[in-house]
Amino acid sequence: MSDALESGAPSFLDQFPDEAKLVRATLWSAFIALILGGLFGIIQTLHRTDILRVMDSSYYYTVLTAHGVLMVVSFTIFFLVGVFTWAVVRSLDRPLVDIRYSWTWYGLMVVGTLMAVVAVLGGFVDSTEMSADVLFTFYAPLQAHPLFYGGLAIFLIGSWLAGVDWFRAWYAWKREHPDERIPLQTFMALTTMLMWYIASIGIAIAVVVFLLPWSLGLFDEVNALLTRTLFWFWGHPVVYFWLMPAYMLWYTVLPKLAGGRLFSDPLARVVFVLFLLLSTPVGIHHQYVDPGIAEGFKFIAMTNTMFLLLPSLLTAFTVVASMEYGARRRGGTGLFGWLRALPWARPAFTGMALAGLMFAAGGFSGMINAGMNINYLVHNTLWVPGHFHLTVGTAVALTFMAATYWLWPQLTNKPLFSRPIGLLQVVMWFVGMALMSNAMHVSGLFGVPRRTAEPEYQGFDFTPAFGTMNEFDMQIAIGGTLLFISLGLFIGNVVLTSFGTKQSSLGEDLPPALSGPSDSPVVLDNLKLWVGIALVLVVLAYSLPLASIISRGGLFGPGVGTYPMIVDTFSALIESVAHAGITETLAQFEVGVIVQ
Amino acid sequence: MSTETAKKEIDHEDFDPKGTLALILLYFVILAILWIFMYFIEFLGNDLTVIG
Ligand code: HEM
Ligand SMILES: [Cu+2]
Repeated sequence: MSDALESGAPSFLDQFPDEAKLVRATLWSAFIALILGGLFGIIQTLHRTDILRVMDSSYYYTVLTAHGVLMVVSFTIFFLVGVFTWAVVRSLDRPLVDIRYSWTWYGLMVVGTLMAVVAVLGGFVDSTEMSADVLFTFYAPLQAHPLFYGGLAIFLIGSWLAGVDWFRAWYAWKREHPDERIPLQTFMALTTMLMWYIASIGIAIAVVVFLLPWSLGLFDEVNALLTRTLFWFWGHPVVYFWLMPAYMLWYTVLPKLAGGRLFSDPLARVVFVLFLLLSTPVGIHHQYVDPGIAEGFKFIAMTNTMFLLLPSLLTAFTVVASMEYGARRRGGTGLFGWLRALPWARPAFTGMALAGLMFAAGGFSGMINAGMNINYLVHNTLWVPGHFHLTVGTAVALTFMAATYWLWPQLTNKPLFSRPIGLLQVVMWFVGMALMSNAMHVSGLFGVPRRTAEPEYQGFDFTPAFGTMNEFDMQIAIGGTLLFISLGLFIGNVVLTSFGTKQSSLGEDLPPALSGPSDSPVVLDNLKLWVGIALVLVVLAYSLPLASIISRGGLFGPGVGTYPMIVDTFSALIESVAHAGITETLAQFEVGVIVQ
Repeated sequence: MSTETAKKEIDHEDFDPKGTLALILLYFVILAILWIFMYFIEFLGNDLTVIG
C-alpha cells in the first residue's frame, strides 16, 4: 500500500488516468439509472397512494418493473463495478492489465442494460407488441419480450468479465509480490465476485435455458416453480452483491472519515468469507409460501439464514468500533459522548453513518421476513418493500451516494461543488425513507398488498389498529417526495462538480488497519478452499429440492400440483439420493414434519 | 479543507471499544422489545393467520 501523505497526495486520477476514466463512466451509468429509477419511483408512489395519477393504472407494472430493474440491477451493479475497479487498482497499486478489455465488459453491460430497458419501456407504447412487465423478479409465468432476457444475459456476462479483470490484476500483482497477503480491498472484491459466479449459475440457467427460448416460442411451457427456484438461487445472494461494495466502503473508507482506521483487518476478511459461504444456500427463504417445496427444505433455508446474521453482526461491531476509535482520537469521551466527536458536518461520513443506522432497522424487519411462521403475516404485503427500501434502498443506495462525495473529487480532480447541499441531501434521504418505510411496514402489517396500483379494493376496508390508512398514504407520499428531491440534489451536486475547475492534490490515503492482516491465519486467503466449501453447501441445500421439483413437474412441465406435498417428496427423495446415510437422516426429519 | 484537528495516538492495547458494546447492547434491547411488539400484532391484533 502506498504511504502517501494524508492529504495533498496525488489523486486516483493522477495515478491511474485510464482507470479513473473507466470508473467515472461506470458511475455515470449508475447515476443515470438512479435518476430514471427515482422518476418511476415517485410516479408509482403518488399513483398507488391516489394523490396524483399521471397514467392509467394498466401501466403500473411497466413503471414498477422499470423502477425495480433500473434500481437494483442497473444502478447498484454499475456502481459496484466502478467501486471495485477503483478499489482493486488502488489497493494493488497497479493499473489493470489491459484497459481495452475493461472497456469491453463495460460496453457489454451498457448494451445489455439498454436492451432490457427498451423492452420494458415498450410496455408504454401501445402500437408495439413488445413489453416486459415482469417485475424485477422476472420468473415464469410472467413472460417478457426476448430482448429483455437477451439484455439481462449480456449484462450478466459483462459483470462476469469485470470480475475476470480484477482476478487478472491480482495474478499480475501476485507475481511481483509472491509472499504478501492479498490487500484487503482486493480480497473483498475477489470474494464478492466468487460469490457472484456461484450465484449466477441459477439465473444463467433460468434465463438462457428456460425463459429466453420460451419467450422466443421454442417451447410453450416451462416449469414455473423451477424458474422461481432458480431465480431465488440467485435472488438472495444478489442482495449481498449489492451490499458488499457498501460493506467495503464501511470497512475501509468510513473509519478514515471518522478520523481513525479500521479496527481489525482479519475480522473483515472473516466476514467476507462467511458471505461467500452462506449467501447462496438460503434462497428458498423467499419461497416459504410456495407450494411444491417441502417444509423441511424451507426449514433448512431458515436455519442457514439465521447463521447469515452472524457476519452482519460482526460488521456492526467492527465498523462501529472503528468509528469509536476515530472519535476517541478526535478527543471524544464517555460511554456515548464520543458520538458527538464524529465529523457530522461531512456529508460522506454522515450519509454512511445514517445508512448504517437504517440497516440496523432493516435488520429487524429482515428477521421477521426470515421466520417461516411469521413470514406468512407479511408475505407480499407492503411490509416487504418497506424492508428492502431500508436495506438496498438506503443502506446501499445512501452509502453509494455518500461515498461519491468522497470519491468523485479523486476521480475528477475537482472539489465537491457543495458540502452543505450534500449534507442536506443525505439527511433528507434519511428522513424521507424513515417516513416512507415506516408507513409501508405498518400498512403491510394490516394487510395492504405490494405491487398494486389501486390498493383500495371495492367494498373492503383495511382496519389499522392505530392511525388511519389515509395517514399512512400521506406518510408514504411525503416520504417518497423527499426522496425524489434528495435524488435531484445529489445529481445536481455531481453535475455541478463536473463543471468546476481542476485542482491538484485531492488524493486521500486510506490508513491500514489497527490490527493488520499479519495477525490473521493465512488460510483466510485460500480462495480455492472457500469456493470449494461454498459449492458443497450449495449442492447440499439445493440438489434435493431441485430434484424433487423436476421429478414432479418435469423440466418443462406445467409446474407442480399444490397439494399434498410432503409424502410424495419423501418418496422422490429416496429414489434420488444415493447416499444411504443422508437418506436416513432426512427420512427422520421428514417424518418429524409429517407428524407435526 | 481538512476539519481534523490534532489527533491523539491510541494503540491497539489501549483501545477498549466500550461505547460500541453499549450501542450494540442497546440494539439488542430494542430488538427484543420489537419482538414482543410483533407478538401482539400477530396474535392479538389479527385473527390467527396460519394454522398447522
Ligand atoms: C425516489 C426514491 C424511491 C421511491 C419514491 C420509491 C418508491 C417505491 C414504492 C412505492 C414501491 C412499491 C410499489 C408497489 O409495490 O406497488 C417501490 C418498489 C421497489 N423499489 Fe423503490 N423507491 C425509491 C428508491 C428505491 C431505491 C434507491 C431502490 C434500490 C436501490 C428501490 C428498489 C425498489 C424495488 C426493487 C422495488 C420492488 C419492485 C417490484 O415489486 O418488482 N427503490 N419503490
Ligand atoms: Cu433473501
